[in-house]
Amino acid sequence: MIKKFFKSRGVRKFLRSKMAIASLGVISVYALVALVVFAGAISLDDVTNRVGVERMPGFLQQPSRELRLQAVDLRLKAMESVARRGADSTPEEQRRMLNELSLFERQVPDEMLFDEYSTLVVSARQAYDNTGDAQLEVEDLADELVAISEELHEMKSEGASAEDISALKDEQKQMQVELASIMPELDSLIDIVEAKMLQIQPIPKGMSGTIYKLRLSLGTDAKGASIAMKGLYSVKIAFQIGLIVSLISVFLGSFLGAAAAFYGGWVDNAVMWLVSTLSSIPYLVLMAVLIVAFRGTIFDDAQKPGLALVPVYTAFCLTFWIGTCRVVRGEVMKIKELEYVQAATSIGFGKSYILIKHIIPNTLHIMFINFSLGFIGAIKSEVILSFLGLGVKGQPSWGIMIAHAKDDVSSFFFWEVLTATLFMFGLVLAFNIVSDALQDAFDPKHV
Amino acid sequence: MTDTKTTTRQEPILKIRNLTTRFRTDRGIVTAIDDVSFDVYPGETLGIVGESGCGKTVTSKSIMRLLPEHITIIDEKSSMEFEGINLATTSNGQMRKVRGNRIAMIFQEPMTSLNPVFTVGWQIDEALKYHTKLSRSQRRERSIEMLRLVEIPNPEQRINEYPHQLSGGMRQRVMIAMALCCEPDVLIADEPTTALDVTIQAQILDLMNGLKEKLDTAIILITHDLGVVAQVCDRVQVMYAGRVIESASVYDLFHTPRHPYTKALLESIPKAAKTRVKSARLPAIEGIVPSLWELPKGCRFQDRCSIATDHCIELEPDLITDENNRSVRCHTPITVNNAPVRENA
Repeated sequence: MIKKFFKSRGVRKFLRSKMAIASLGVISVYALVALVVFAGAISLDDVTNRVGVERMPGFLQQPSRELRLQAVDLRLKAMESVARRGADSTPEEQRRMLNELSLFERQVPDEMLFDEYSTLVVSARQAYDNTGDAQLEVEDLADELVAISEELHEMKSEGASAEDISALKDEQKQMQVELASIMPELDSLIDIVEAKMLQIQPIPKGMSGTIYKLRLSLGTDAKGASIAMKGLYSVKIAFQIGLIVSLISVFLGSFLGAAAAFYGGWVDNAVMWLVSTLSSIPYLVLMAVLIVAFRGTIFDDAQKPGLALVPVYTAFCLTFWIGTCRVVRGEVMKIKELEYVQAATSIGFGKSYILIKHIIPNTLHIMFINFSLGFIGAIKSEVILSFLGLGVKGQPSWGIMIAHAKDDVSSFFFWEVLTATLFMFGLVLAFNIVSDALQDAFDPKHV
Repeated sequence: MTDTKTTTRQEPILKIRNLTTRFRTDRGIVTAIDDVSFDVYPGETLGIVGESGCGKTVTSKSIMRLLPEHITIIDEKSSMEFEGINLATTSNGQMRKVRGNRIAMIFQEPMTSLNPVFTVGWQIDEALKYHTKLSRSQRRERSIEMLRLVEIPNPEQRINEYPHQLSGGMRQRVMIAMALCCEPDVLIADEPTTALDVTIQAQILDLMNGLKEKLDTAIILITHDLGVVAQVCDRVQVMYAGRVIESASVYDLFHTPRHPYTKALLESIPKAAKTRVKSARLPAIEGIVPSLWELPKGCRFQDRCSIATDHCIELEPDLITDENNRSVRCHTPITVNNAPVRENA
């Protein structure tokens, strides 16, 4: 059966398209991620917990000096409070405290003693304080440079003499050189602090090290949570919504369309009435109405994110089956006049049997194409709805990521928007290519 | 069915009486076939011939009740008696048991008569599963046997192929195999050879003839090709504008047509070179078939008839059956003067 499937004309034609194969590969990677997330590899806590400083850029961009200092300061404060509280406790208590300190995946090694830890923290604090002078100097210089450039601007507009201007310019140059010489000094001081921190809390090796790097790979959002994890977790949401909505709407659409075309009469009238009524309601409006309708029920609870998606499924399923229904209805109207349907009747089969066994299998190619189109449509609409605050609740999704990041974008922190967009772009593009290839391969008009 | 084939006149297996089928259309109700009556005997081939639109296919589909229900009216006085059941009034459930099992049908277009998404074997098997209680392996055996019967080479392999892998002639053979797999008593063949080329046509006709003898199936052959009729039919019925106008054995009809329309039809068949008068044009019947909306008051053939009289315009003739079991619907039928000696009848 499977062998026969791969030998069939449509499948062979489909497999000949390299782009389609590549896209299938991309989709299966996404599907794998969705499965892994679904299996519980990434929990909601992983996604919402702090993994570092707010708005940390991803690995392609060096974090600024301020951010590095901020990160060090954050860790140092946590470490110092443990060192203070644990000073008079029992060794077991101290160990427990150290274990709890496992801030952002990095843990205090098991073999490290509390005294050793305390001294290391103290020396780290000293190293951090050492950066203070350099920091101040840098700040002063920067302030002075700003003042000079303002002065220069003023002098120019007032028409001051050329000598004065060039003197000031020389001064500015001198300061820039000075700043440039201090900068590496400050950097190396920060390096020392970071090295000390690493000594206390080394970057874990092996699997957990990879996860640590992965978490920080795409930076952190405005709450210090990992953007990479949010993006990956959202793959699950996208697949969940895409699969459920497109499966239900394709089945609903094709069965109603086929029944309308095949039985005609009042069935056709009823289905077409539904189609024209529902298609006149934009799904955004429908969604808003459903949100109101579901308010206060179990489907409106951010604590139960799975149930909170029910209004989204309902709104999408109600509007998405219409396209499939129209196309399948047209196709069945054509097919039911073909002679093999009459031949089936002349063999003695009943009407419903002919519809299910003989006619619907002939519309399978339409179902395939509509399934993949519906999948993309559902994902895109989910993003729009979540951006508007109507869709996903209590868990991340690409739409929510974009919604949260919209203020950061103006200050050039693009990592969250970029991540959400790229994740979505990859999936939607792959699905578009696949559905195009499906269309080419299975549409009887393209031979 | 207990009768042997040697008796010439058995009980008819299918008795059609006064079959009148009307269609609801946007312009009102139109009568497609009017008062058609005939008998079908076991093991014989009845040909129904006529021009396009004369009601041949409507007749066959009325028997099978394949016409779209919501626009079709089969007149109350119609009766189609088949083994004590009146097919015109019986329930849909009863009809489903008759279809395929007792009366089967072959369609004109072999290219679209098989479902493209299933294998040939699956489609024969499905019919067997529906009508018989055979086991899976028995059904497979029977399918292969049926394909072999219709002379498909290498049936064990063909059974797993899809319709698009078969030629037109092959598909028609599969259709015949499907129609005959439950050994029906009556096989309705609606222009089974029209879409095929002449060689394949001859093969299919031979095949149907052979199968008729093997399985003792009655065949109703619907065609517009008089050559086909001459080749395979025992009796012929000529239809014109929804009415039967002449009915006779093949021999009688071809040698001594009594209705002017039949005569004109026969004259319009191209003759082989020897008997043809050189450079003579092939005679055609002038005029066109009257529209079913504007049927004339009298004989429906009056406009095109060379011997029509005032009487023909006033009054429509009845179908009159003579002592030789020939029927003709004409006021002035062509008389049979010196009937040729019937050798084989």
